[in-house]
Amino acid sequence: MASSMDVRDILELDTGQMQNDFVTKESLMYDGKKKKVKKPDASIKRPEGMHRELWGLLHTDSRYQTDAAPIIPSDTKQGYKQMKAKIGSSRVRPWKWMPFTNAARKDGAVFYHWGRVADEGKDYPFARFNKSVDIPVFSDLEYQQHLHDDNWTRQETDHLFELCRRFDLRFIIVHDRWDREKYKEHSVEDLKERYYNICNTLAKVRAPQGAEPKIKAFDAEHERRRKSQLTKLFDRTQEQVEEEEFLIGELKKIELRKKEREKKQQDLQKLITAADTNADNRKAERKNTKKKLQAREIKDGGILAAPEPGGIKFPDFKASGTSLRSQRMKLPATIGQKKTKAIEQVLEELGLEFNPMPTDEIVNTFNMLRQDIVLLYELKLAMSTCEYELQTLKHRHDQLIANRNGGSSLSSYLQSSVVKEPDTPTISMDDGAGESSQDGCAMSPAKRKLLMDTIDVVGTASTPSKKRKAAIEQSQVLKKIKQKM
Amino acid sequence: MAVQAQDNSGRLKGVTVVKPVIYGNISRYFGKKREEDGHTHQWTVYVKPYRNEDMSAYVKKVNFKLHDSYPNPNRVVTKPPYEVTETGWGEFEIIIKIYFNDPMERPVTIYHLLKLFQSEADVMLGKKALVVEYYDEMVFQDPTTIMNSLLANTTSLGIGPYKHETDFEEKKERTKNKINNAHSKIRYEIDQMNEKLKRAKDSIAKMKKEIAKLEEGVTIDADSTL
Repeated sequence: MASSMDVRDILELDTGQMQNDFVTKESLMYDGKKKKVKKPDASIKRPEGMHRELWGLLHTDSRYQTDAAPIIPSDTKQGYKQMKAKIGSSRVRPWKWMPFTNAARKDGAVFYHWGRVADEGKDYPFARFNKSVDIPVFSDLEYQQHLHDDNWTRQETDHLFELCRRFDLRFIIVHDRWDREKYKEHSVEDLKERYYNICNTLAKVRAPQGAEPKIKAFDAEHERRRKSQLTKLFDRTQEQVEEEEFLIGELKKIELRKKEREKKQQDLQKLITAADTNADNRKAERKNTKKKLQAREIKDGGILAAPEPGGIKFPDFKASGTSLRSQRMKLPATIGQKKTKAIEQVLEELGLEFNPMPTDEIVNTFNMLRQDIVLLYELKLAMSTCEYELQTLKHRHDQLIANRNGGSSLSSYLQSSVVKEPDTPTISMDDGAGESSQDGCAMSPAKRKLLMDTIDVVGTASTPSKKRKAAIEQSQVLKKIKQKM
Repeated sequence: MAVQAQDNSGRLKGVTVVKPVIYGNISRYFGKKREEDGHTHQWTVYVKPYRNEDMSAYVKKVNFKLHDSYPNPNRVVTKPPYEVTETGWGEFEIIIKIYFNDPMERPVTIYHLLKLFQSEADVMLGKKALVVEYYDEMVFQDPTTIMNSLLANTTSLGIGPYKHETDFEEKKERTKNKINNAHSKIRYEIDQMNEKLKRAKDSIAKMKKEIAKLEEGVTIDADSTL
């Protein structure tokens, strides 16, 4: 279609009919004609007696194979109806080299450009983008009455306003073009401050009675501070930037560690109370056997009120119905792998079955035993935390001593006495320890291998040196941060 | 059995009936691998009451679920003795489900790992049968009225001494003692650990105080040099 039209165009044949058929957006994108709805070809029908499936195969094979229904919708209906623009299918609109005047110009200069014939005589469309600013004008009287400023002369102010008018309040340019030979140098903020002060004063003075004048907000002080800060930020050296990043990173790490330690300490406190109630319990029992029954009742009341030590929470079997007793010995799923492992290690060490014979009594005592194993495990965990903390503190202490260059003899004495104690735990055989060996353990406490040694708390044995290093680093960073501040 | 009250569900609140049972298997080695199917052992898996009583009073049936390679792996036994005898060559888990006469009570499920092999030479030679059995207790919490009466009215299984292969009374005592000993050991170590922890905490507190003192001193020194 296009080619035949081109030929006609070249040969200047039959132009009358196509005269008005210029290219428009609509004609490019949409041909306007409705598509013909194809009628389904129903001429061939399924022969009688033929199976539907067989007919389906033949049918598609013979006729519709090349024209099968699309899998995805091909007609979007909206948007461009015709996906391919038909360029060159019709005549172009004529253009002309014509003069124009810009309404935004006051000098009435005439320029030339290519424009559509249809647009001839219309206003220059870009003139409307030329916005001008309203710069207030003041009289001598107003200046003397309201606008006087010690830092500014009348001439300087006039010069400022002239430049503002000339450069449409582009203060950076105003500052650049400031006549430094005639007038005193002012910063950009000074210029702005002067200008906006004058505007605001004039607005206030000229505002009719009762009406609220429109005030332009400009905080010169804030702007000066902001710029000086930006300058400082910009003037940093690469080393300073890197150091700052490093310090921030370290600070975050320290805070994280601190939080962790605090959390562990809270847990520890809980454990100690739990273990205390246990100890009281036992002491009370022992007293009861020896002493009067009176004391028992009082003690018992207290113990019952005390919270049961943490460890394992075995599910209650209160619901009606049938169950197996051995189910009550099952460790709940909430217990972690580490704890389960610890329990198994200790049970093995003690020569106990993991699943003993489930009578009522055995199930109860066995569960209590395992609760205490978990408690022991948690205590050991807490102990390792304590040891670590002590290490850190010790190191800090050493450093402080070193800083004092010799320091006082008292503190070094204290240091050694304090630190020695936890490092070499001498198991003192005072009240509780000695008596319990009579209760049921036949072996002497000195020879006995401790069960808690069979529990391995992850990361106690191998890492102290690493932790120590971390502690050194940490204290150095802290010092640096302090110096910075 | 403090409070006996029957609510509208027909259950006796506060009543708990316990029925101990023994489950397990015995197995006997043929002495050689059988030609036609490669089986090596004959075994019997069973559930029996711990005390001498007729369980069929309250047990409707016992379902032994064998390995899928057996023909009809679901073997149902409706009257005592509750046992299944088979031959085979491998160990697997048998699911034993005990159904009760009152359908209101849910069945109880026991998992038993069939045991065939033992390293002892005489067992290998087929002289002595291997016995692996366990003790467990069926606990009937708040049984239904019907169930309760069924549980109460059991008859013994004939006269004569009723014994198990394993002496569970002795085992019970042994286990109890072991656990109690272990418990006191653990308690002792908890006390010890606790003492140690407290000491460590004290040291930490002391150390902190000392550091604070030192730090104060340092800052004063620094000030004086300025």
